[in-house]
Amino acid sequence: MSISRRKFLGWFGAAGLSAAASTSALAAGNKHFEGYPGSFGVLHDISLCVGCRRCEAACNKVNALPHPNEPFEDLSVLDRERRTEAANYTVVNRYEKERPDKPQFRKIQCNHCLEPACASVCFVKALKKTKIGAVTYDPDVCVGCRYCMIACPFEIPAYEYNNPITPRVTKCHMCYPRLVEGRLPGCVEACPMEALTFGKREDLLKAARARISKHPDKYIDHIYGETEMGGTSWLYISNVSFSDVGMREDLGVIPAPQLTSGALSAVPIVAGLWPVLLMGIYAVSKRKEMMFKKEISARHDLFQPTDEEDD
Amino acid sequence: MKKAKYWPGWVVIFSVLVGCVFDFGLSGSSIEEHSSRRRADIIKIDSLVAYGDLEKSPVEFLHDKHTDAMAKKNMDCTACHLKLNGQIYPKFKRIEDTGRIEAMNVYHEGCISCHGKMNIEKEKTGPIACDDCHRKKNQYTSSRQPMGLDKSLHFRHLEASENKCQRCHHEYNEAEKKLTYTEGHEGTCRYCHGKETKENRISMRLASHIACINCHLKTKPEKTIRPPVNCSGCHEAAFQKKIKKATMVPRIKRNQPDTVLLKAVSEDLLTDKSVSRMNFVPFNHKAHENSNETCRGCHHASLKSCKECHTLNGSTQGEGVSLEKAAHKPGSKRSCLGCHEQIKHTEKCVGCHLMMGRNRRMPDASCLTCHAVPISEIGLSSDPDHEKRIVESILQSKNRITETYSAEDIPERVTINRLSSQYEPVDFPHKKVVTALIENMKDDKLASYFHNREGTICQGCHHYSPRSSRPPNCGNCHVKLWDQDNPSKPGILGAYHQQCLGCHTAMKIEKPIGCTECHKEKISSN
Repeated sequence: MSISRRKFLGWFGAAGLSAAASTSALAAGNKHFEGYPGSFGVLHDISLCVGCRRCEAACNKVNALPHPNEPFEDLSVLDRERRTEAANYTVVNRYEKERPDKPQFRKIQCNHCLEPACASVCFVKALKKTKIGAVTYDPDVCVGCRYCMIACPFEIPAYEYNNPITPRVTKCHMCYPRLVEGRLPGCVEACPMEALTFGKREDLLKAARARISKHPDKYIDHIYGETEMGGTSWLYISNVSFSDVGMREDLGVIPAPQLTSGALSAVPIVAGLWPVLLMGIYAVSKRKEMMFKKEISARHDLFQPTDEEDD
Repeated sequence: MKKAKYWPGWVVIFSVLVGCVFDFGLSGSSIEEHSSRRRADIIKIDSLVAYGDLEKSPVEFLHDKHTDAMAKKNMDCTACHLKLNGQIYPKFKRIEDTGRIEAMNVYHEGCISCHGKMNIEKEKTGPIACDDCHRKKNQYTSSRQPMGLDKSLHFRHLEASENKCQRCHHEYNEAEKKLTYTEGHEGTCRYCHGKETKENRISMRLASHIACINCHLKTKPEKTIRPPVNCSGCHEAAFQKKIKKATMVPRIKRNQPDTVLLKAVSEDLLTDKSVSRMNFVPFNHKAHENSNETCRGCHHASLKSCKECHTLNGSTQGEGVSLEKAAHKPGSKRSCLGCHEQIKHTEKCVGCHLMMGRNRRMPDASCLTCHAVPISEIGLSSDPDHEKRIVESILQSKNRITETYSAEDIPERVTINRLSSQYEPVDFPHKKVVTALIENMKDDKLASYFHNREGTICQGCHHYSPRSSRPPNCGNCHVKLWDQDNPSKPGILGAYHQQCLGCHTAMKIEKPIGCTECHKEKISSN
């Protein structure tokens, strides 16, 4: 059908105005999930970590992972900053950029967020937040899309790129099978400095606050993971600033699923309702045209047929 | 129809995208980081800030650069500075600011005229264009160190001014509105001259530069040691290190007491016993003078006794800090307890004191270590000689060495074998460690004053238990897992390693390092 320039600009302007008047896609909500009650977590006291790598060795043993090239007693691997990999659910890094005479060590592993981005993004429910706090992975349903690796704000999930037939996403699962039996995670049991303490998340928060208030000049007055990304089950306290040990401080307190829930909640409406609506409008307007043409051809005594073509 | 193309469209779009990724080269690394950009002579010219918001950014002025340039032209301070009462005044070409436009004009006319003249004569000179001085981004970082007189430097100044204190020290007489000098009333400049100029009380910055530099400029040419007159001479760390330290610095003469009996309130209030019943504190003022470089360590606002401003309940003069807080606040450098805590965290002492929280409540009996003289012993009439004798006798008797149990009671070696799955038991050289600690502390007066009961130093490791020659094992209290009711109480594995490694790391003890120097690896049978 023909549409005049004026009409086109009018529709365009109206569409633009309505788009500009819309609000952000964040879901309106004042609900704040504080974790399943009684769920567990781990408190990592960065000031106590000495970089001995016993946690890495224990994780390797408990999960029956392949042995790495360098033994765990080799501390020269700390010379470079590593990230989690297919056979390394956890790594310890050394940070000495800010203070060369006093290196700091930190253990990196899945933070078991209260509202995990990876679980939210996984459309086959391979990653699940369990009620006891661990975020577990089911390799049987995973399709290998690796959305979880993109979504994780801490860049933790790793992938078995070397395995062509049945690759899996790998990450720390807080030794979920051991937790179910009432045992401690392997890394927690192995740490000689007790830089890792296991307990209920609410108890760990209290313990962290008590430690900070006992030594206010030693610790930074912040528990990392209390609110970051909506809260994590793996909490950190530190004697140096968190960014000095490679931890992101720009993540904010909004959980990852909440960032996308607004846009995602609009998808069913867009996919389901709009086609029906638009097709309906089209059908009605097409029918209107057809009726108009019928009426004209019925009254050929009044109207002369023309050569004009609709375009 | 095809128009004549200069650049193909994809090239334009691609380069724009690449430029976006690399920020068009606008954000480079900060040039301030380079060592040549760290200077001690940077003056931030922002005098117009007193008149409202600045239109242009403050100017980074390099003073030493200008004094060096002036020296080359045989010009001295008077080229830029006026004289007030015969002394060079540190402000630029004026004594005080009269208005916004006037202040701006002083700088513009003063700076640009000289730069312009030199520019015409084709000499290397400073900027003339607006934004070359008023730069948006700082070009330099300050390496300026604060400067002050310590006891050695003060003594050298005493010698230089022939013991005439009035050359530097003065007081301001409000009634007569002039500076006077009274012997016995000398104090540090900072007691009156603060950070900002208040009416006719100039800031410390102005006062120190007027007083110091003018006097330094008057140094006779035959003197070998030239006191500094430029910025870096005082404020550059490297030059500060070069300041000669006098070998034998005698005690400053200010009629200060050797010992004092500290009382909570003045004598007249003591007759009313309900005001304060706190024991008096015998205080060794002379010994404390030796542990501070300036008197301001304790006498931070005046040389009077603390209680004159810090009353029992706090007063406005004492900024609301009560006497109890003034003496005991843990984090402060000026309170008795706070200063002692700081010393306890120096390398020599920190091994044992590291784990003790600074805010912890001290054991009740420990108050008597300082509050040693009950009121009844002095009586209501304060006879100064009687007091002095009591104080001195108490202080003398406390000057013992650190107490320990007798040699037979201290075990030679201790075997720690509570956990031995991966490693052999630890053969711990117990007596060696104790002897080393005592040796370390033997000359320390503070340590020996407080470690005055046998068993006190044992509590560095044998903590949270009563003093005893047979203290409990670590494993009696530290069990397998951490204590949820007591979050600072680790499990046994953490307890051993945090205690031992914590002390060794904090005291920078070289050996043992690694795991196997303390406990050998167990050779597994399988």
